[in-house]
Amino acid sequence: MRRVVITAIGMISPVGVGREASWSALVEGRSGIGPITRFDARSLPVRIGGEVEPFDEAAIMRQFPGVAKTHDRKVMLGLFAAEEAIAESRLTSDELRDALLYVGVGLESIRLEDLTRYAGAEDLGLSLLQASDDESGWIQTPLDFTAMLLGDAYGFRRGRYTNCSACAAGTQVVGQAWEMLRAGESDVALAGATDSMINPLGLGGFSLLQALSEENDRPAEACRPFDATREGTVLGEGAAFLVLETLDHATARGATPYAEILGYGSSLDAHAVSDPDPAGRGAVDSMRRALQTANLSTAEIDCISAHGTGTPKNDVVETAAIKEVFGDHAQDIPVHAIKSMTGHMIAASGAVETAAAALTIDRRAIPPTINLSEPDPACDLDYVPGRSREFTGRTVLSNSFGFGGQNATLILGIAGSEENRTDQRS
Amino acid sequence: MDVAITGIGLVTPLGCNPREILERIDRGESAFQPLADPCGVSPCPSYAPITAFDPTAYFPENKTLRMMSRDAQLAVVAARRAITDANISPGELYRPEEIALYGATGLSGIAPREISRLVRGAAADDGTLDLERFGSVALRRTRPVLSFKILSNMPICFVSIFENICGPNAVFTPWEGNAAQAISAGVRAIRSGSVPCALVGGCDVKTHTLSIAGLQRLGVLDSWGRTGCGTVPGEGATFLVLEGFDRAVDRGARIYARFKDGVRRSISEGELPAEAIHEIFEELQIGSDLPNAIVAAGDDEPRFASAESEAIKQVGISGVKRIEPKRYLGNLFAAAAALNVALAAELVRKSPSGSTAVANCFGWGGEPAAFMLEAL
Repeated sequence: MRRVVITAIGMISPVGVGREASWSALVEGRSGIGPITRFDARSLPVRIGGEVEPFDEAAIMRQFPGVAKTHDRKVMLGLFAAEEAIAESRLTSDELRDALLYVGVGLESIRLEDLTRYAGAEDLGLSLLQASDDESGWIQTPLDFTAMLLGDAYGFRRGRYTNCSACAAGTQVVGQAWEMLRAGESDVALAGATDSMINPLGLGGFSLLQALSEENDRPAEACRPFDATREGTVLGEGAAFLVLETLDHATARGATPYAEILGYGSSLDAHAVSDPDPAGRGAVDSMRRALQTANLSTAEIDCISAHGTGTPKNDVVETAAIKEVFGDHAQDIPVHAIKSMTGHMIAASGAVETAAAALTIDRRAIPPTINLSEPDPACDLDYVPGRSREFTGRTVLSNSFGFGGQNATLILGIAGSEENRTDQRS
Repeated sequence: MDVAITGIGLVTPLGCNPREILERIDRGESAFQPLADPCGVSPCPSYAPITAFDPTAYFPENKTLRMMSRDAQLAVVAARRAITDANISPGELYRPEEIALYGATGLSGIAPREISRLVRGAAADDGTLDLERFGSVALRRTRPVLSFKILSNMPICFVSIFENICGPNAVFTPWEGNAAQAISAGVRAIRSGSVPCALVGGCDVKTHTLSIAGLQRLGVLDSWGRTGCGTVPGEGATFLVLEGFDRAVDRGARIYARFKDGVRRSISEGELPAEAIHEIFEELQIGSDLPNAIVAAGDDEPRFASAESEAIKQVGISGVKRIEPKRYLGNLFAAAAALNVALAAELVRKSPSGSTAVANCFGWGGEPAAFMLEAL
């Protein structure tokens, strides 16, 4: 089986615009969560979120004029991150044309203001059909629009895939691209995810699910994974894209990898759409599958990037699942949750966390879990509280567990290491 | 490792049995119904609804039904039919984690009545969005379960819950070509040895005014105004059970067909679909190795129909039996790919060994694909 490495990263998140800004903030333990500024959220129970700072959207619009068709912010965020990764990669236009493209996305974007003008109508849809040409913009942005714009710009003729597996999407797309490269479908892939729920419908919908912290008076401390006083997650927005290529291809063109992808696993809880399986069987299975495909023992995992949302249920289940998989070794593994700083970027989280895991390996630093001051007795692992730590190991495992029960796990390692099994199982 | 189709589950405007659907197509029966258009604003004159589907018959618990969008309901029923047809039961023949689930869902099919209360509650008198009212009125009137109806992955997650499927998975979106990617993912998972069984398919609902308006705004229905013909929005769900061929034979499964090959392309705006389709046919070698039947993807949308016809002519297979489901049961979008494969599988099921059928999955989205199936 061919070996696959990560050779470029593009990232935009509530903690920073761009890869280096995001990474610096993560390592410094800076929160990107604050009061929502993008719209007047005063009437909502949740008025905080992880917003991306202003960035050069005009540059994106020049490169991708088609983006003017949509109001969907995640498209803009995704294109920014993709462009940063592509620029760093220095891949030729031929290489990009023949590459695979995987894009993870979350919820379809519909603007309420496009619908409220027809609120008085008996049939909302009929009124939309009757709308004049002046009001004929898109009602919804197709979820494959980001992939379409990137495809039109660069080619990606080997295949363009749009994955909407909610919170697991960002990890799944990297894993799927890895599988395809290993199988010889291409030498190069661009894989990433983007999402933004910082809008009335997104924020309102998630607040109805009672999954969000309502600690509006202290936003930077509101997302507290594994803390006994945690009350819920905080929504964020962002995107990350990674260039994956076979080790041979990267070596031949002199690219320096951040990390190597060693294994991938995915599973389903088959429990409930609203809550994780309290027994954590899906989470356990996802991690075990990743270990199996990486041909690694549990003792060889040196760090875990947790899904770590800060919801009462997830953190307990994830902790128990880690213990189930790793046994006594679980206590020796640093487990960090960067959502404590970025908030939950839904579909984008897995990709951002995978990018951060690659940077952990490359830069030899583990970002902290911030806001962890009173550990939950049921969450008793080493969560790297408060301050980043030197990374002295070889491998990082990254989890994503999504609404609906979709789970995904990636394992990354030092690129090209002799210890990475070349006889990885499928 | 060869991959076999051992189960088919369908919920479509022309019925739920592939043989029945083919017979009805042969008789020229259409599921098209006139789109009620008292104001004369509809972009297309017809749509293809499923008229005989009562969700309460399948989901007697109101609580469950309230959480499910229509496409989720259709998906669960179709998936159950496929699993029953294959005579497998997760936990018995295969452990739940040995079954992969790769599905496709379409553009949000939320019905107007589901969000009317929210929209009305958020509207100011002049029709603008009143954020204060949104938080203080609209959200209070909205059931939390609405979120489960609009998340794009939920129909496939409901399938996993109802069928206790726990294996590798992904949800692709939103067009027919993307749905074909779900089928390919299942085939690859079995061929790689990752799992012995996969449930693959898709669901979509494009038969209410909000979804039709959405298609209109995207330009999907434009050709009606220009040419008087075009895509007819439909709804449905289709699922296939795939198994490793040898294992299916060993357990005495009824095998519809074996996957012989699958080819796909990606095309960008401005590129001619006909060229991509021609390349697909060339790679499948169907010019030199004539299939016995083609399940065509084209409907009356001129761009795709003519591209497909042109490609068929170019490779010299115009005389091959050709089924055109969309002309009779509408465009099922994210459910169309698995439907075409199901019909192709039924066509070869009783054919002489070595017979083949091609299932085309072309259309919106720029990801054309085709599968060649082989009779045993």
